Amino acid sequence: MTDHHERRLRVTLAVLIALPLALIAYKIFVLGYHPRDVLPRTQYHVTLEMTLDGHGSDVRIRSFLPLSDEHQQISDEQSSAPGMHFTSDTTGPSRLATWTGNGVPDGARLRYGYSLLASPLQFDLDPELPVPDGYGSSLAPYLRPEDDIQVDAPEIAATLHQIGADHGSTTARLHAIYDYTSSLPQRPFKGTTDALTALRLGEASCNGKSRLFVALARAAGLPARLVGGLILQSGTKRTSHQWVEVYIAGHWVPFCPTNHHFASLPETYLVLYRGDEALFRHTADVNFDYRFHISTSMVPSPGARESFGALNVWALFDRLGLPFMLLQTVLMLPVGALVVVLFRNVIGLPTFGTFLPALIAAGAGQTGPWWGIVGVLIAISVVVLLRWAIQRLELLHSPTLAILLAGVTTALLGTSLLAERFGQLHLARVTFFPIAVLAIASERFYLAVTEQGTPKALKELGGTLVVTLACFVVMHSLALQIVLVGFPEVLLLVVAANVYLGRWVGVRLLEYRRFTPVLTGGAP
Amino acid sequence: MTIRQQLARLLHHRRDLVGINRRNVELVYAQNPRKHYPIADDKLLCKVHLERAGVPVSRTIVTCDGLRDIPATLRALEDHAEFVVKPAHGSGGAGIVVVGERVTGGWRRAGGGKVTLRDLHRHLADIVFGAYSGDLTDRAFVEERIVPHQTFVELWADGLCDLRVITLRGTPVMAMVRVPTLQSGGRANLHQGGLGLAVDLATGHTVRAVHRGRSVTHHPESNAPLVGLALPAWDQVLEVARAAAGGVPLGYLGVDIVVDRERGPLVLEINARPGLEIQNVHGRGLAAAIAEVGA
Repeated sequence: MTDHHERRLRVTLAVLIALPLALIAYKIFVLGYHPRDVLPRTQYHVTLEMTLDGHGSDVRIRSFLPLSDEHQQISDEQSSAPGMHFTSDTTGPSRLATWTGNGVPDGARLRYGYSLLASPLQFDLDPELPVPDGYGSSLAPYLRPEDDIQVDAPEIAATLHQIGADHGSTTARLHAIYDYTSSLPQRPFKGTTDALTALRLGEASCNGKSRLFVALARAAGLPARLVGGLILQSGTKRTSHQWVEVYIAGHWVPFCPTNHHFASLPETYLVLYRGDEALFRHTADVNFDYRFHISTSMVPSPGARESFGALNVWALFDRLGLPFMLLQTVLMLPVGALVVVLFRNVIGLPTFGTFLPALIAAGAGQTGPWWGIVGVLIAISVVVLLRWAIQRLELLHSPTLAILLAGVTTALLGTSLLAERFGQLHLARVTFFPIAVLAIASERFYLAVTEQGTPKALKELGGTLVVTLACFVVMHSLALQIVLVGFPEVLLLVVAANVYLGRWVGVRLLEYRRFTPVLTGGAP
Repeated sequence: MTIRQQLARLLHHRRDLVGINRRNVELVYAQNPRKHYPIADDKLLCKVHLERAGVPVSRTIVTCDGLRDIPATLRALEDHAEFVVKPAHGSGGAGIVVVGERVTGGWRRAGGGKVTLRDLHRHLADIVFGAYSGDLTDRAFVEERIVPHQTFVELWADGLCDLRVITLRGTPVMAMVRVPTLQSGGRANLHQGGLGLAVDLATGHTVRAVHRGRSVTHHPESNAPLVGLALPAWDQVLEVARAAAGGVPLGYLGVDIVVDRERGPLVLEINARPGLEIQNVHGRGLAAAIAEVGA
């Protein structure tokens, strides 16, 4: 290699590395991009499933649905209530949902699903804040006694005095009430516990502790209310949770004496209703049951979308109405190809072409990597079988491939039909796997078998599948995707890596094994 | 030996080794302009270049450029025996049929069986239809059969042993003999179980033999000794390799040579991307020899 050539390479590399780094620095320091927004967030998907036996009569069910606020953002709401009428109505601090139906049969099933992003809340209370002398009339209900919140009971007043919450600043009184209620032993009691019972037993479940907290706060002159909702964990649950909110200096501030959150609310708390309510009310004798199904996924943070102002590819895709999936596929394909290059030229693993593993990985975005691989294996099995069957016809190359493609399509549809029939929904999804990618995979495999023989073709197939998995992991790294959406100039670094690898003359990892006799000085 | 020592030894010899990356970047791309690949890939075109440069090659009896040429090709072969039918493109010996003496209704086929005129017709049609080239068309040609030198017959009687000489800018840098075995189906391909004999460039003596990655001293089937043989007409072999390398505009080559009993060394074909297995046969890397020539 000439010096001139060498210099040209170095200059190219320097430009390809310096340019994107400069652009990234410009965006962060001058345009005020926030790289920390790049970190993905957890999105929760909650589905409320209710079952009931209507016995053919009229049924009415009422529950609460979450509202969006500064703590939680609700989206993608979906209702499924065959044969029943669904309404939702926001009255006061909660959103009431009602399902009504005439002649509802046994085994009726209602579903309501939504996605949500939540942020933790944290309030700093002024330690000197005095207890106000009075409040507006709208807050009066939050100071009055209720059936299960016996604000005016003498025992409440006595306890208030005993724990020192009857004097001092707002914050001092809240600390006293919080310390007292949160120190009560926990009792895994499922039913309703009123404030006085909790006080007399000296132990309580979440709703007992919370009612006692509300009663003490109201008695201390602080407007307070019960809050009901869910603690979000992946899985299926029936258990709801209660905590409290106290009105302090114009804000409803959350407290959870059960799980020890003082003036704060963790991300995992989903607020469903406010006030001393029952989560479900329904017509009697309908054998009502319910479940919450909760799952999570990682999504780009809303901050990331907003901060990437200039060159906002994201906004472009929004305007064109294209899905985020396509954006990540387009941007991540060069990254996937780089992964393939690393496997081929540095490790020495053979694959079908440079793009195919990256394409399979991109195509498997909808189905997950394993179902993508199952799709490829089904397609290739069809190729092997059909090739064997039609070999004796001695057909020309292109018509043979067209026949193979027809076989692959039929096999995938057939697999989905069968899988659906037997309830294997995951397997049924293989037809969602882009047929174009499977067609290319089939052709590549066929060519490899005819030109290089079955053993070598199988070796390349194995390599292709391994590299596909690696591509999938890298290409579906959400953090990497968001970095590329916010900083598409990173692709220049990918080009730089390829320029470097394009002139890299090192020994491939697998060549150490192949050339052991040379490397050990002709030993064996 | 500890793993650490073994690793150290592997890494120590790493610089001697030419891996695929290094071969491609420093030898193939640097020495062989892509536009000249057809000279190496098309055996007929290669022969034209070699003959023009005065390099001895096997005599061509007839060429067949398409379906229309087949009757004329067969007529030209009617009075011939001991010839080889080859596709211009194709690798690993695919599509090569070796024909022996004339018998009634056809010819004896090397390795047993008979070749009729009809068989030959079909084979020529297969070749020109591109069955061996991975392309839509190809050309076929027929050469006189080579009678290998006695030294090579003693190694393996039923097939053709060939010499592979790696040349860099006209200078031989490494050489080996490839010997077929029954396992390799009579082909001198190392990956298919053929034997590789390392040849000392200076003396033309075989110094090492490798079968399936293992060092051996005798042919596993014929039991012929493999190491310490003096190859015939060695100076001429090197001369022919140099001449062949000088006759084509490609700087890094594998020149395949056979030694005919009467005509001496003949060039069979050249390869613009010669394999790297020769390093395992020698038990040492190509790097030192290449550095001597100066890549």
